Amino acid sequence: MTDQPWRGSPSAKRLESAVEASRFQRAWFQRLRERVAAGEPMAVVNADAPQEIFATMDIPYVVSQWWASLVAAKQQSGRFLDLVRGKGFPDYTEQYNSLTLGSAFDPDPASGPWGGLPRPTIILGDATGDVTRKIFDIWGEQPGVTYFALESAAENEVPVNWWDLMPHRWEEAVGSARLDLLTAELRGLIRFLETTTGRLFSPIRFEQVMALVNEQEEYNRRTRDLIARTAPAPLGIADSIPSVMVPQWHRGTEWGRDAARRFYEEVRERVESGRAACAGERARLMWIGRGLWYNMGLYQQFEESHGAVFVWSMYLAVAADGYQRFGGDPLRRLAARFAAFTDQLYTPPWSCEWYVKEARLHRIDGVVHLVSDDPRGSYFTTRALREAGFPVIEIEADNVDARTFDDTSVTGSLRTWLETTVLPRRDH
Amino acid sequence: MPSALAELVEAYTTRAVTGRTDRGGEEASSTGLVVGYVGGDVPVELFSAARVAAVRLFGDPAADTTTGDRYLGRGLDPAARSVLTRLLAGDYGELDRLVVSRDCEASLRLFYAVRELRRVEPQWRLPQPYLVDVLHLPHHTTTRYNRVRLGQLRDRIAEWTGQSISDGDLSTAVACHDEQRRLLAEVARLRRDVPARLSGTEFLAVVGAGTAMPVTTHSALLRRLLAQAADLPARPGRRVFFTGSAQDTPDVYRALEGAGFTIVGEDHSWGDLLFERPVGTPREDSTLDALAERYQYNGPTAQRAPVRERAQHAATAARRCRAEMLVCYARQHDEAPPWDFAAQRDAVDLPSIVLENQAYGRVDLDEVRAQAEGAR
Repeated sequence: MTDQPWRGSPSAKRLESAVEASRFQRAWFQRLRERVAAGEPMAVVNADAPQEIFATMDIPYVVSQWWASLVAAKQQSGRFLDLVRGKGFPDYTEQYNSLTLGSAFDPDPASGPWGGLPRPTIILGDATGDVTRKIFDIWGEQPGVTYFALESAAENEVPVNWWDLMPHRWEEAVGSARLDLLTAELRGLIRFLETTTGRLFSPIRFEQVMALVNEQEEYNRRTRDLIARTAPAPLGIADSIPSVMVPQWHRGTEWGRDAARRFYEEVRERVESGRAACAGERARLMWIGRGLWYNMGLYQQFEESHGAVFVWSMYLAVAADGYQRFGGDPLRRLAARFAAFTDQLYTPPWSCEWYVKEARLHRIDGVVHLVSDDPRGSYFTTRALREAGFPVIEIEADNVDARTFDDTSVTGSLRTWLETTVLPRRDH
Repeated sequence: MPSALAELVEAYTTRAVTGRTDRGGEEASSTGLVVGYVGGDVPVELFSAARVAAVRLFGDPAADTTTGDRYLGRGLDPAARSVLTRLLAGDYGELDRLVVSRDCEASLRLFYAVRELRRVEPQWRLPQPYLVDVLHLPHHTTTRYNRVRLGQLRDRIAEWTGQSISDGDLSTAVACHDEQRRLLAEVARLRRDVPARLSGTEFLAVVGAGTAMPVTTHSALLRRLLAQAADLPARPGRRVFFTGSAQDTPDVYRALEGAGFTIVGEDHSWGDLLFERPVGTPREDSTLDALAERYQYNGPTAQRAPVRERAQHAATAARRCRAEMLVCYARQHDEAPPWDFAAQRDAVDLPSIVLENQAYGRVDLDEVRAQAEGAR
């Protein structure tokens, strides 16, 4: 299969913090390439895995999903999935991870985005779903690459209001069995990294990293709250996603913390000066699902024509609610950040009740729910939002595989939905 | 057909036709509690030890799955969507509890859906679900976690029945189930004979019948079947090792065997992988530890094992059953099997074919013939 002739459009960056984040990321990536070329170890780490340990030990790492998003944004997802197919593997399952695996098979790595992904020495990811472990295991069989697997555990009964409990009462929210498991696994990971890289794990440095993360996410919480209560919205999600996510992948660094602060300050200035993403805002939209990396322009497409602004995505919101952890043993505290991270976003009742809470907080007029052809299931999220009175439209596509996106159909459906459902309700 | 085989096939077929268990475990149960369970990772020894009747749930490829599709989405293995549809329709009769294992993502999602439906749409009156989160990474940290989870299930069953499960009861139950596994392994040899003495379809029935009746009843039937083995006819057909999606109904095996193949081995949890690994005979007070290890390391199923392990297993198992061909069967939205195929093909040194995106309970025989011809 090859890419469709259709190509998505990028969004226009309107925030200095987003421009700066992109600039930083490019420079950081070039520096990372240099370090790896000089013989340093490098990790590819899943988004929901504890990058804080690598930050503490100064081991360069790349977040798998960030790389996939870059490949998709550069309209290269088809090529990378073809590389996966070329090795006899399916190109139609879990593209978010398999696309990054394609980098391992690239006969011309330098032709990838930004000079290409260097060959990692370590892969870190949890055994989510049915194929993530397979994908990383395949990568781990490449010469010089080791896959360090973490379990993905589940709980029987959970308190619904995780966003209230997580900062301080994380033991209660996540449950001890999962925390015992991940904490033990993290001890093993640290010993593994000490042994194979020669880098040190300083508990003092680790505490600093953990404190920086809490500070960074506190700025994100303030930013989220500011956007939620300001109408017209000072920015849309095409602006907020790079401003929150690039620093997120540098969590635990001074730069990450300071970038989050600059983002907050920039948003506050916009609010104070009355600058809006769309001065004629008529509808505030929520985007549920992963970012549509190959077509970020979609998020700004209906601003001028319909006054419809995407004000919410999970990226800033989960940064605000999902990361902060205080108290207790620091390693167990880190385990508490990730032992149930996916549940926060995708498992009812946690996910749906949180989306409803956020929709209310942001005074949402309509919800666009990206339904991928994966096992996450969308029914309960859509149901909960509709039950709470929010109009929801579901669109079907994979977020990194542009071949699955029908632009004409999606934009047509969104336009009709806005005109017949969302705007009349708002005007009424 | 020997009478024991006929009884096993009848028990399995009745299960498949009516969708209802005969609550066969109930007569052996002193508690009266009936549990439906999902997946191959549920430690059934705990049910037997507690004298709780347990039946493994299965789907129906011929039935509409609109209801299950609505709640689980269409991106999930249709076998799980079918099970949820049937649960909602009450096809399994009155189940007191539902125990779900984490043997694949579809089972986990099924658990979440049932849990949430009980919260937001209680009018469905679904049984209370319980997840037994058995994990599979080959690490001692995972073993410890599984041990905790099995201990919690043991306690929960005790709450349900009002009676604790003693080490002695558990040890006895483990011995019963290991004896059943030993007998199934003997029956499996009949299928592996050249020529085969059992078809794959019959073997699915022999194994599947044991998931809907008390273990002692099943073992007695297996003993009778083994005693009647001389009466089993030879089964012709190209010998196939079947790898990939678990087959909770006989439809796919029947179609393949109707097309001239005989399935002499497989690597899914409704066949060989349900019984090949015993628990063993640990000290009585460490039976739960042994149970935790058994379920952790049982496999390797497509959904829980890495590619290389699956390939090595396919090579060993296909050689053991003297297969002449490997068929990798991947049901729609069962994402794991296609990832294994390339390495399996290289490992088995046999003509190998892969069938991707197959509809639930069906197999594209034209595709089979075309690929099989090319794979000779």
